[in-house]
Amino acid sequence: MTMYKTLHRWFHQFASPKYFYDISHAISRWLTIICIICFIAGLYGGLVLAPADYQQGDSFRIMYVHVPAAWMSLFIYMVMAISGGIGLIWHIKLAEIVAKSSAPIGATFTFLALVTGSIWGKPMWGTWWVWDARLTSELILLFLYLGYIALQSAFEDRRVAARAGAILALVGMVNIPIIHYSVEWWSTLHQGPTVTKLDKPSIHLSMLIPLLFMTVAFKTFYATSLLIRVRTEILKYECNTSWVKQLLRDYKNVTN
Amino acid sequence: MTSFEVNNLQCIRRDNILFQGLSFKLEDGGLLQIDGVNGSGKSSLLQMCVGLIQASEGEITWNNEDITSSRHQFQSDITYFGHTNGVKAGLTALENMKVMHALSGFKTKVDYSLILKQIGLAGMEDVLLSRMSAGQKRRIGLTRIFMAASKLWLLDEPFNALDKNGKKIIEQLIVEHCKSGGMVIFATHQTMEIDGYPLQHIHLGETS
Amino acid sequence: MNEYLKIFFIILQRDLMLAFRNKAEFINPLMFFIIVIILFPLAFGSDSALLKQLTSGIIWITALLATCLSLESIFRSDFEDGSIEQLTLTRYPLTLLVSAKITAHWMIFGIPLIIIALLTGFVLSLPNQTMLALFITLLLGTPVLSLIGAITVALTIGLRGGMLLSLLILPLYMPVLIFSMLAVQNATLGQSIAAEIYFLAGILVLAMTLAPITTAAALRIRLS
Repeated sequence: MTMYKTLHRWFHQFASPKYFYDISHAISRWLTIICIICFIAGLYGGLVLAPADYQQGDSFRIMYVHVPAAWMSLFIYMVMAISGGIGLIWHIKLAEIVAKSSAPIGATFTFLALVTGSIWGKPMWGTWWVWDARLTSELILLFLYLGYIALQSAFEDRRVAARAGAILALVGMVNIPIIHYSVEWWSTLHQGPTVTKLDKPSIHLSMLIPLLFMTVAFKTFYATSLLIRVRTEILKYECNTSWVKQLLRDYKNVTN
Repeated sequence: MTSFEVNNLQCIRRDNILFQGLSFKLEDGGLLQIDGVNGSGKSSLLQMCVGLIQASEGEITWNNEDITSSRHQFQSDITYFGHTNGVKAGLTALENMKVMHALSGFKTKVDYSLILKQIGLAGMEDVLLSRMSAGQKRRIGLTRIFMAASKLWLLDEPFNALDKNGKKIIEQLIVEHCKSGGMVIFATHQTMEIDGYPLQHIHLGETS
Repeated sequence: MNEYLKIFFIILQRDLMLAFRNKAEFINPLMFFIIVIILFPLAFGSDSALLKQLTSGIIWITALLATCLSLESIFRSDFEDGSIEQLTLTRYPLTLLVSAKITAHWMIFGIPLIIIALLTGFVLSLPNQTMLALFITLLLGTPVLSLIGAITVALTIGLRGGMLLSLLILPLYMPVLIFSMLAVQNATLGQSIAAEIYFLAGILVLAMTLAPITTAAALRIRLS
């Protein structure tokens, strides 16, 4: 019973915008450092150390951007939909803020995945684009992100915007398993899954390790940029409270 | 003995605090007027009491039970008349009343012609609402208070677009309902001419 | 249970009556459908072999666009005259009342759309098996369009900028379009369309179960 109580208290404390604002500065510093290290390790490993592919030569190396970007596009949508749902059900402001702030980052990663995929596809398949299941559903994902952002900006009341967006994001969640499993369910031009959580991966270790570094780098990059956006959004949400007003006064005093 | 109680209510719309620390209690026969200038939060307060909007702070209880925990039950026990009429311009008066009656689930038979007579619109059963004046439409909307036999009425600007006669009719209906043990909360900036019945007041927009 | 059925039909009847007294709201999108379809033979010449291949696709795409235009009529007048608040405050579940309204929309707009689409296909001399596939996919697909459309229009009704609804809805409509066109293409080639029809039926059942609840939630959010 006491463990439930402490968890409950910890959850509500963590969900308080002011508390999150205070601790997020230190956290984002650490995340930035990890992000830079992983980027350097991943890019060096992927572009320099990893051997050239026996089939594709050096053109496979765009995988080190394309695959993590695609994974991020799905991951961020899940975060957006789930935190939107949490904000909708339990009326937690921080969850609403996380959902809203994740959307532009997710849209950018989706766009990056589509563009790098297109660049990779030209030498590999001979075409810039093909209307198979995975590419089409990833494109639909981009439109879902953009629609979510458009919907949020159409409302004047921030809370109503967040809740309406949560419903849209949850409806679009149907697309996520379609993207993920599309290469297994349909015969497509896109290659099948090579890295699954439980099985031995079918990719060589020297190519896999830089990929994992890049994945961590992209994730920490997402976390860092999310924290920056969330901090700004918290200030907007809580503009009526005394701690924000004090913060702005202090900032004015420092800059004057 | 039913009671409707509001405690420490705060309303924030579009980053503006409209009111805070608002409390009142209503019991059988209670009549409450909410007044204030436009934009002071009258409609928002009523909508919070109905349960359409959530208050940022404070709680509202009906018979000592929080209305958010049994929202559906509470909402089926009250009648709300909003700023807009809640009636369809494309239907006749009688069709509108039949729909209102059905939605309130009232089992007993209701005499529509008699209601129209009580509200001052005798003989207008088959007139399309689009052909009626604004005041007449408003009165058709008000007929919902006859349909559901609810204890608590929440009326937002019930006298809007009504002439002196219409206003008198509605005032009488409200007082009668309170005299027979019902409760009415209404929001209006007009002055009331209710004699011989205790009227509680809440002014919004004076302090913040 | 009887009571629920009764109120379903009362709301359904109410919406049908309102539609018939305000015919423009559903006739205009149907006219839009016909006019846009006519644009294609105008642009490409009616004897074009290319056009013959594209006909079913053109019919489906124009059906999607026309549906986007017709969706606002589900909730617009209720939002404007305050009926939507009253529907939320009844003793009946909002989901039930919303299902009645969505059914009314499909009956007013979806069924005439299917008829007109088939007539268009007939006039543009589509082969019989294509017509059959077109009919089945429209029959399964138009309710899905009304259902998913209801969620989106509940989210966007009353917002300025009329394009938002179409931008949100068309990505959600894409799976319906994809499977319907796969079915039509397979039928034209004489192959079995069972797989695509199962998919469409599955989407329909999913939409029928989840869309009314989601629409009701969206309406409550908009009212707050």
